[in-house]
Amino acid sequence: MLRFVIRRLLLAVTTLFAISIITFVLFFAVPSSPATVMCGKNCNPTQIAQVEHRLGLDQPLIDQYGTFVKGIFAGRTIGEGDFARECPAPCLGYSFRTDEPVLDIIKRTLPVTVSIVIGSAILWLLIGVSLGMASALKKGTIFDRLAIGTSLVGASLQVYFFGLVLLLIFVYSTGWLTAPSYTPFTQNPGQWAYGLILPWITLGFLNSALYARLSRAQMLETLSEDFVRTARAKGLPKTKVYTRHALRAAITPIVTIAGLDIGAALGGTVITETIFGLQGLGKASVQAVEDLNLPIVLATVLLAATFIVAMNIIVDLLYAVIDPRVRLG
Amino acid sequence: MRLKIGALGVGVLTVALVASGCSKTTDDSDSSGGDKAVNVQAGAISYDAADNKAPAPAVDGGQKGGNLGVFLPDGFEHLDPARAYVNVAQMADQLLVRTLTGYREDGKGNLKVIGDLATDPGTDVNKDCKVWQFKLRPGIKYEDGTPVTSKDVAYGVARSFSPDLSEGPHYIQQWLTDKGADYNADYKGPYNGGAALPPGVTTPDDQTIVFTFAKPHCDMPYAATLTTTAPVPAAQDKKTDYDRRPFSSGPYKIKSYQLGNSLVLERNTNWDANTDPLRTALPDTFTFNFTLQADAVNERLIADAPADQSFLGWQDVQPAQLAKTTTPDVKARVLEGPTQYVWYYYINTQRIKDLNVRKALNYAIDKDAVLKAIGGTPAGTPATTLLSPTVAGYQKYDAFNAPATGDAAKVKELLGSTPPPALVLAYANTPPRAAQAEAARKSLEAAGFQVTTKSIDPTNYYTEVGRKDNPYDIYLGGWGSDWPDPGTVIPPLFDGRQITPTGNQNLSYFNEQSVNTEIDRIGTLPSASDRAAAWAALDKKIMTDFAPVVPAYYDGAYTLVGSKVGNAFDSSAFGWPGLINVYVKP
Amino acid sequence: MSVSPDDPYLQVRDLQVQFPTEDGLVRAVDGVSFSVRRGQTLGIVGESGSGKSVTSMAVMGLHNAARTKLAGEISIGGTNIVGMHDEKIREMRGQDMAMIFQDPLSALHPYYKVGVQIAEAYRVHHPSASKAEAAKRAVDMLDRVGIPQPQRRAKQYPHEFSGGMRQRAMIAMSLVNDPALLIADEPTTALDVTVQAQILDLLEDLQREFNSAIIMITHDLGVVAQIADDVLVMYAGRAIETGSVEQVMRSPQHPYTWGLLASVPSLHGDAEIDLVPIKGNPPSLINLPSGCAFNPRCRYAGQNGNRSFTEAPELRSTGQDGHHVACHLSAADRLRIYQEDIAHAGVAQ
Repeated sequence: MLRFVIRRLLLAVTTLFAISIITFVLFFAVPSSPATVMCGKNCNPTQIAQVEHRLGLDQPLIDQYGTFVKGIFAGRTIGEGDFARECPAPCLGYSFRTDEPVLDIIKRTLPVTVSIVIGSAILWLLIGVSLGMASALKKGTIFDRLAIGTSLVGASLQVYFFGLVLLLIFVYSTGWLTAPSYTPFTQNPGQWAYGLILPWITLGFLNSALYARLSRAQMLETLSEDFVRTARAKGLPKTKVYTRHALRAAITPIVTIAGLDIGAALGGTVITETIFGLQGLGKASVQAVEDLNLPIVLATVLLAATFIVAMNIIVDLLYAVIDPRVRLG
Repeated sequence: MRLKIGALGVGVLTVALVASGCSKTTDDSDSSGGDKAVNVQAGAISYDAADNKAPAPAVDGGQKGGNLGVFLPDGFEHLDPARAYVNVAQMADQLLVRTLTGYREDGKGNLKVIGDLATDPGTDVNKDCKVWQFKLRPGIKYEDGTPVTSKDVAYGVARSFSPDLSEGPHYIQQWLTDKGADYNADYKGPYNGGAALPPGVTTPDDQTIVFTFAKPHCDMPYAATLTTTAPVPAAQDKKTDYDRRPFSSGPYKIKSYQLGNSLVLERNTNWDANTDPLRTALPDTFTFNFTLQADAVNERLIADAPADQSFLGWQDVQPAQLAKTTTPDVKARVLEGPTQYVWYYYINTQRIKDLNVRKALNYAIDKDAVLKAIGGTPAGTPATTLLSPTVAGYQKYDAFNAPATGDAAKVKELLGSTPPPALVLAYANTPPRAAQAEAARKSLEAAGFQVTTKSIDPTNYYTEVGRKDNPYDIYLGGWGSDWPDPGTVIPPLFDGRQITPTGNQNLSYFNEQSVNTEIDRIGTLPSASDRAAAWAALDKKIMTDFAPVVPAYYDGAYTLVGSKVGNAFDSSAFGWPGLINVYVKP
Repeated sequence: MSVSPDDPYLQVRDLQVQFPTEDGLVRAVDGVSFSVRRGQTLGIVGESGSGKSVTSMAVMGLHNAARTKLAGEISIGGTNIVGMHDEKIREMRGQDMAMIFQDPLSALHPYYKVGVQIAEAYRVHHPSASKAEAAKRAVDMLDRVGIPQPQRRAKQYPHEFSGGMRQRAMIAMSLVNDPALLIADEPTTALDVTVQAQILDLLEDLQREFNSAIIMITHDLGVVAQIADDVLVMYAGRAIETGSVEQVMRSPQHPYTWGLLASVPSLHGDAEIDLVPIKGNPPSLINLPSGCAFNPRCRYAGQNGNRSFTEAPELRSTGQDGHHVACHLSAADRLRIYQEDIAHAGVAQ
C-alpha cells in the first residue's frame, strides 16, 4: 500500500513536470508574444523589448523554465531594483496583465470552482445514482421509463443551453432568484448556497442524467450476477440483497468515474462559470490563454493536471478499499 | 487614440487585440448608434472663467446619496494613473484622482476642456505651444487631508516614465524628451536613484508646474486630461501595488477592491466640491461588478430587477439582444451614439498604386453589408470621412457620393478598360471580422474584383498588417482619438514620414509630400479653431485626391442603464457613460 | 405441515414455467412432474435450454413473479409454494431448500469474506443468533466440508480460495441451516476432474449425515450415474424419460437419452471410443417443432409415419416400475435400435 502510494506519487510528479514542460514549449510555439499583448496600445519595438525584459521573456527558454520551477520550490525575486518583489514559495509568478500574484488568483478562483463542483457533485451523485438504482430495480415500469426518458433528455442537453434556460426562468423572467454569485462559505454559508443554486442544479441535473443511466446499467448488470442470485437463494430480504450485495458491487465503477469526473471538473467548469458569471478557475484559465498570460496558464494547467492525477490515485486507493480483489502494488 | 474595451466575445481581452497602438480591437462586435443625429463636436478648450469655475454646475434633478453600480465584464487592468489607458479605467479614475485638466460635458454633445486641478486649461507661456504652465487651485486635499501640490503632479509624471509602469499614455513623456518611443532611454522615473523630476518639468512653487517641450505641442490642454497628470504623493507610491489602491485626490476613495470580483468606492471626506469644476459626485458609493459576461450584463439591465436598477453597463448590447431593447420601457434606457472610433478599409498604397482603382474600391465596398455583418445600424453608421463626428472640427462630406450599398456600375465606369486587379483581403480571424470580410468580398467580387481572403490570428492582426512589406491589399482597421482633436487622427494615420519597417499605424503606407507638409503647417497654427478647420479640409483633400482608405463606418456605442440611474449620457471623450455627474434616483 | 418420512419431501406436479417476452411466450418448463425423498438424490439431465435450471429455480422460488407465469404444484415439506407470497417463500429459502451453483467464483460475493457470507446465511434464518455464534457456525461448517484451517479460511475472500475449496465453501453455506432439500446446479462443471470427484463424494457424505433430499442438475450422465438414485431427462422443457438410475442407464429408452449417454466419456469407460454427439441444436422454446420436439434431431423420427411431426408423445410407462418415456417408437423398436445401434457400440456402459 505504502509502496503503491509512493510509486504513484513519483509518477504524478513526473507527469506534472512533463505537463509543465509541454505547456511551456507550446506556449512559446504560439506566434504572438505576450509582450505585444501587454504593451497594449504603446506597442512599438522599443516597448515590446522593454516589456519582454520586464516579464523575463528575453531569457532563454530553459532559464525561464528553471526560474519558474525554482520559484515553486524556493520562491524567487521578480522585477529589478526598486521594483523587485519577493515572491515566496510556492511562487507561481505574477499575472502579466494585472500584476496580481498568480497564487492570489488561484486562491480567489479555486474556491469558486470547488464550491460549484462539490455542490453539483453531491446533487448528481445523490439524484443520479439513486434514480438509476431505483429504475434498475423497477425495470420496465412506468417509473423506469419516465426516469430513463428524463435522463435521456438530460444527457442530450448542454450546459450552456440548460443553464441559460434556468437563468431566463428563475432570474430574468420571474425574479424568484437573484443572479448567481459567489459568497465564501466561511463568510455566510446560506448566501454561499443561495448564490450557487442555479449552477448546482444545472451541472447537477445534467450529470445526474448521465449518472442515472450509468447507475441503471451497472445495477442491472449486477442484478444479473450470480452472487446476487446466491444472496436471494440464501433467503436474504430484498433490501439486503439490493443494498448489501448488489449496490455494493454496482457502485464500484461509479466511484471510479465520479472520481475522475470530479477531478476533471475541479480543473475548471468553464462553461458553467461563464454562463453564471462566476469567477472560477475555468474562466481564469480560459481568459489567461486568450491573454497569453503564461504564469496563469501554467498554474491553472498544472492545477487541473494535479487534480486529475490526484483523483486517479484516490480512485485507485478507494477501489482497493471497496474491492478486496484489487491489490495495490 | 483611445483604446476602448469593446463588446468582447468570450472574455477576449481588448489589449490583446490592439497590437498596434490605438487601433480598435479586432474582436469587436459592438453595436450602437442608430441614425441619431450626430452631435458635432465643438471640442473647445475653454479659458472662460465661468467655464472654469468650481463647483461644477448642478445636475438637473440630481439627488445626493445612494449606491451607483457599474457592470464591467472582466474588470480593470490598471487603475494606477500612470498605467490606465483603457477608457473604463480612465473613467473610473475620474472618481479617484484629479488631473490638471478635464472635460466638462453637458450631455448634449458640448464638450469643453477646462482646468481640473489647474485653474484653467494651461498657459501657453510663450505662445509657441512649447512651454505650458499650470496653476493649481488652492485647497485641494488628498483622502488623508494633506494638500495636493504641484510637486505631486510632477512626481506622477515622473513615475510614468518607469518601464515597470509603462502601460499608460506616453504623449507627455515623449513631448518632454522629444525622443519618440525611446522617451525613457535616459530617464526611467524616480526609481533606482533616478531624479525626482522628469526632464522638462519644473515646479517653481507648490501650486505651479511648468512643462517645457522641444517642439510645439498645442494639444497640451488635451494631453493634460490624461491620468498621466494625476498627483501621486511620493510617500504613497507603492510602485506596482499602487495599482490596487491609488491614493485618492478625487471625490471617492477605494473602500474595497477584489480583483476579478468587485470594486467599491466610498466618499473621500476631504474632497471639497468647491475646488472641483467637473464633479458633482452625487452617489454616496460606487460599486463596480466584474463578474458578469457581456450578454449577462445587458440581460440584467434589460430585466431591470430592483437590485439592478441603479446600475449602468459599460458594455455594448450584443447583436442578439438588440431585439429586446425595442420595447418603450427598455428603449428609454438605451444610450446610443457614435464613439470616437472610425473603421476604415486601409488600401495598401504600395501595392494598389493606381488612384482610379482606389477610388473604384470606394464605390465597390458595400458598407451596409459590412455593418449588417456585425448587427446592423446599432453597430455603427456608414462613414464617408476620415474624422469621427465626435472630433473637433468634423465636417461632413462625401468625396464620391457612393451609395452605402456600393455602386458596381460606377466601378466599371471608373476602371474602363483596365481589368480590376486581383486583391488580397486580410481579416482578423474572429466571427464578427470573418463575417465582415465575407460581406466585403462579396461586394468586391460583384464589382468585378478577384478577391482572395486571408485570415490572421486576431492577437497578431495589427502586427501583421503593420509590417511595411505585408502581402495584403486591403484590410479593415479601427482608429479612435485619445482626445477629440483631429491631430490625434490624421498625423498618425497619414503622415508618410512615420512609416517604419514594423509596427506601423499608417496602414495604407500612404506617403504624399503635399499632405506631409500640410500636417506640419497645421501643427503650428496657434488657434485651436483654425487648426480644427484645417484638419477638416485636409481630411477632405486626402480622400478626394488620394483615396488611401475606404471609410467604412463610424463605430457606435449602444449601452443600457437601469431605471434609477439619473443623468447618464455617453461621454464624447470616453464613448460610454461617464460617472462624475450621474446620480441615483430615489 | 408435516410429512411422514416416507412421503417425498419435494413433490412437483405438472409444473409449467413460462416467460412472456417481446418475441413470444417462452415455455421453459411444460408439464414436468417429479418427487424426491429425504436421503434420495434425483438427477435432472439435459442440455442447456432444456428447462432443468428453470425447474430448479422454480423449486427455489427464485423466479421473478412479475415476469414469470408459474402453474402446477411445488410442494416442499408439504407446503405448495406455487402462488405463495414472496415473503413466505423467502423465509423457506435457505432454510428448507438451499442451492449450490455451478461457478462458485461468481456465485460468492467478491467483496465479502467467506466466513461472513456463510454467517449471513445463518443469521437470516436464526435472527436470535449473535454475530459471534454465526461466525462460529460458519467456521464449523467450513470444517465440516473439509476445508483445512477453517478459522483462517473464514477470514479470507473467495478469490483467495482454489476452485474446489470455493465449491466446498459454497456447499458449507448452503447447508448452514440444515436444509432438507439441496439443489446442486452443475456443482462440478467448473472444476477439474479430480476435484469433481471429491466434491461429489463430499455431497454424498453430507447427504448421509444430514439426510437431505438432493436434486443434482447436470448435463453429465456420468455424474448422475455416480450420485443419483433417480433420473429425470429433460428436453425442450419436457420430461422425456424418467426412472431409476439403473433403468435409465442400463436400458435407456429415448433416442435423446441415447445421445446423451453416447456423449459421455465415461469415467470408467474406454477413452478410445468415439463420442457420438447428438447432432443439431436444442429447439427454440418459443417456436417448438410441431409434434415431438426432438423430431428435427431424431434419426428415427420417420419410423412411425408422420406421428412424430404431428403429435407430441406422452410420458408413458415402459412397463418397468417407475420407468417412463415419451417417445412414439414402439417398445420393440426401441429395444431393437438400442441393441443394434447403440449398445453394440458399447457406449452405454
